[in-house]
Amino acid sequence: MPAGPTIRSLVTRRSLVIAGVIAASLAMSIGGWAATPPEERFAPSYATLHAIVPLVFAICAAIAWRLDVAPAAARLMAVFPLLWIPQTIYNVIAPLGWLWPIVRGVDLLWGVLAGVLVLIYPRGTFDDLADKAIAYSAFAVSAVNFAAVLLLAVPDAVPCDCAPNPYSFLDAPTAFAVIDAGFRLFGGALVVVVAIRMLMRWVRGSVPARTIVFLMPVALLAWATTLAIQVISYAIDAEFDEVAATISLIAIATIPVCFVAGVAHTRNLRARVADLMRITRESADRTLWAESLARTLRDPSVRVYWWDDREGVYTDAAGEPLDRSDGAGRGMLPISSPSGARLALIRHDLALTDNTRLLDGVSSALRLSVDNGRLRAQVEATLAQVRESRERIVRAGLETRRRIERDLHDGAQQRLVALALQLRVLADRAAASGESELAERAEAAITESNVALRELRELAHGLHPSLLSAGGLALAVPELAGRCPVPATVDVEVGRLPELLESTAYFVLSEALANLAKHARATRVWVTVDMTTVDAPDLESDGDGAAHPRAGEVVRLVVRDDGVGGADRAGTGIVGMADRAEAVGGSFEMRSPVGGGTSIRVELPLAALPDTSTPSANAKYADPAQFADPASRG
Amino acid sequence: MDPHHEEAPALRVAIADDALLLREGIEKVLADAGMEIVASVGTAPELLSVINANELDAAVLDIRMPPDYSDEGVSALERLRESGSTIGVLLLSMYATPEYAVRVMGAGAGTGYLLKDRVSEPQSLVRAVQTVASGGSVVDPEVVSKLVSRSRADDPIARLTPRERSVLELMAEGRSNSGIAQELFLGVKTVETHVRSILQKLDLEESPETHRRVLAVLMLLGSR
Repeated sequence: MPAGPTIRSLVTRRSLVIAGVIAASLAMSIGGWAATPPEERFAPSYATLHAIVPLVFAICAAIAWRLDVAPAAARLMAVFPLLWIPQTIYNVIAPLGWLWPIVRGVDLLWGVLAGVLVLIYPRGTFDDLADKAIAYSAFAVSAVNFAAVLLLAVPDAVPCDCAPNPYSFLDAPTAFAVIDAGFRLFGGALVVVVAIRMLMRWVRGSVPARTIVFLMPVALLAWATTLAIQVISYAIDAEFDEVAATISLIAIATIPVCFVAGVAHTRNLRARVADLMRITRESADRTLWAESLARTLRDPSVRVYWWDDREGVYTDAAGEPLDRSDGAGRGMLPISSPSGARLALIRHDLALTDNTRLLDGVSSALRLSVDNGRLRAQVEATLAQVRESRERIVRAGLETRRRIERDLHDGAQQRLVALALQLRVLADRAAASGESELAERAEAAITESNVALRELRELAHGLHPSLLSAGGLALAVPELAGRCPVPATVDVEVGRLPELLESTAYFVLSEALANLAKHARATRVWVTVDMTTVDAPDLESDGDGAAHPRAGEVVRLVVRDDGVGGADRAGTGIVGMADRAEAVGGSFEMRSPVGGGTSIRVELPLAALPDTSTPSANAKYADPAQFADPASRG
Repeated sequence: MDPHHEEAPALRVAIADDALLLREGIEKVLADAGMEIVASVGTAPELLSVINANELDAAVLDIRMPPDYSDEGVSALERLRESGSTIGVLLLSMYATPEYAVRVMGAGAGTGYLLKDRVSEPQSLVRAVQTVASGGSVVDPEVVSKLVSRSRADDPIARLTPRERSVLELMAEGRSNSGIAQELFLGVKTVETHVRSILQKLDLEESPETHRRVLAVLMLLGSR
């Protein structure tokens, strides 16, 4: 129990209310009994039972409060004992002319409370307008009755030697008798109506925990019957049968008990569905689902069948299709996705059919779980597709660079050399024949074409270093580091790698060195390229958004300098490096404390590169029907 | 200019380059210089069979050729040296790649590495072919300058004086001491002093003279 000061004071206040109500009720019963002449007293057994009824209500009020459901119902139960006024009380208050007509005016109000309690079962609020109308008309008629009693009642109206009614302004005993009888008739009729509604609801089976709640209509029927007898005997002024009276008392006392028991039961069921939700929240596998359902529904014969979209049938976790022919005594609960697609079917004991709220909860849990799994599978599949397409784009980009470089090498560059050669011949001939101006111009053209060749060479090299294709990182990285103005110590301990990896590593290093040359103000740089093995990423920490390299062998690139540090993480160079690394499933990490140099560490998984010739390498994620089925993966 | 090629019998040369235009240009330059072009082919294997079938003085070949367009020329050189051939081999490259130059030098004597640009400077090309044919080595000045400008930590080359460095660069280009003396307008004795100093600073005093020169060049090229 939570024990905050507010809660504690509330509990204390409620306990005081209950104690006060019980004390008042006992005072009325005992006081009335004592004030009644012995020869007029009811049998002790009946009197005791009569005194117990309000106590039952008070205790049930305490329990309802403790369960913390339907506070309105709890309040009704708590007020009930105060209005449960024994007839003997008039022996006590008879001399008090100002009091007895008021008491007489409200002494049947308990019936209205009991009726309302039934109507608001089990949620603590009215289910529909009809219920509301019934309750309000009962209160309205009670008010009319109260006014009539107050204004018309004469001492004869109660079985006592009463003082005159000070409120009476008209001596009309007949009118009073009519109103009084009419009120009782109306009350009896309402009880019957409520009982019938209750019965109908019970038959429709929309109320949970029918096994418990079945007492409620029985109690109501018993009460209604005895009330009818009471009304009739009152009308004909006959002696009221004590057996009927006893049954009536028991029936009334049953109402709060049913209420509290039903609510507690419902709460228990909800707790079980909540458990189910908790267990199956993380797309539980199909076998676990069947077990959890059997536990929740307390029905070991429960079977779960899963919709197989390809075959168009429901099958169980083992792949056995649903046999609809042996469905005797079995209920079916089909479960669809919010969009209406079939997901699963639960076959359960027919007795559970009426427990719709429970089944609703179960189907919601199942739908949520399946939907979660389906969405997760979808997201994973989409992510895999995005990863693959990103990698294809990167691959295509590198391929294009390589092609352009080769085209330049085989085409424009060779032609420029040949052109320079032709010009050389021209220049030599011109010089030989004494045409010095022409020779000079040809020399100038040679110089121009050589400049063009040089520029083209730099461009082609930047597009794709031929050394990388020919010699891999072991040759290309020292060459690359050699171009960096900052003195570099290079250590490459890898052999030839897949082309995409070599290119990615090369361009990441190229970017890192270019960045460093531009911003780091370093005097030394250390570049290492080696292989290492990383463990499988921890699934729990996978949600932090950081890119984890996939487990297994990775190519590790480390570029460290002794510069000023404080590199801008959002710089295009840094972002470009991270993008390149992540495009092949790798990770990028940078530490650059101000004044502490910069160190970049990139890990590129060796084995994780999917074979692009089979784009559906992750196809199993794309099939939501299989997400939770370990059996179908084998 | 070089009295060598006026008197000696014409050098027998084979050429391999997949770019026809360039191949013809090279043929012309070398033929004009009085060399005999024995064969002119488009791939390394063709060149190898030509070399096997003929008595040749030198071969000029492109580094990047079919089928893979990577380092076929260097591989062909290495195969030749493995098979014991001492034929002069001049490799032509579109790029000045020191790493290739190292491999070429490492293959042994009579090898050269030249940028294709030099084809438009007939004297450079002709001299390079003559040098490799006579067992000398040639490295393109561009490669050398690239290596020199290359910044490396713990570089023994850094211990050299600027003068010694230029001497070493010329050594790398395959010049003899007298060639270097001529180029730098120094006395041959002075150059010899510089060379001794270079070899000392590079801790290369133990080896025989000619091999030491190669080692010094290799060191300049970034590998020992």
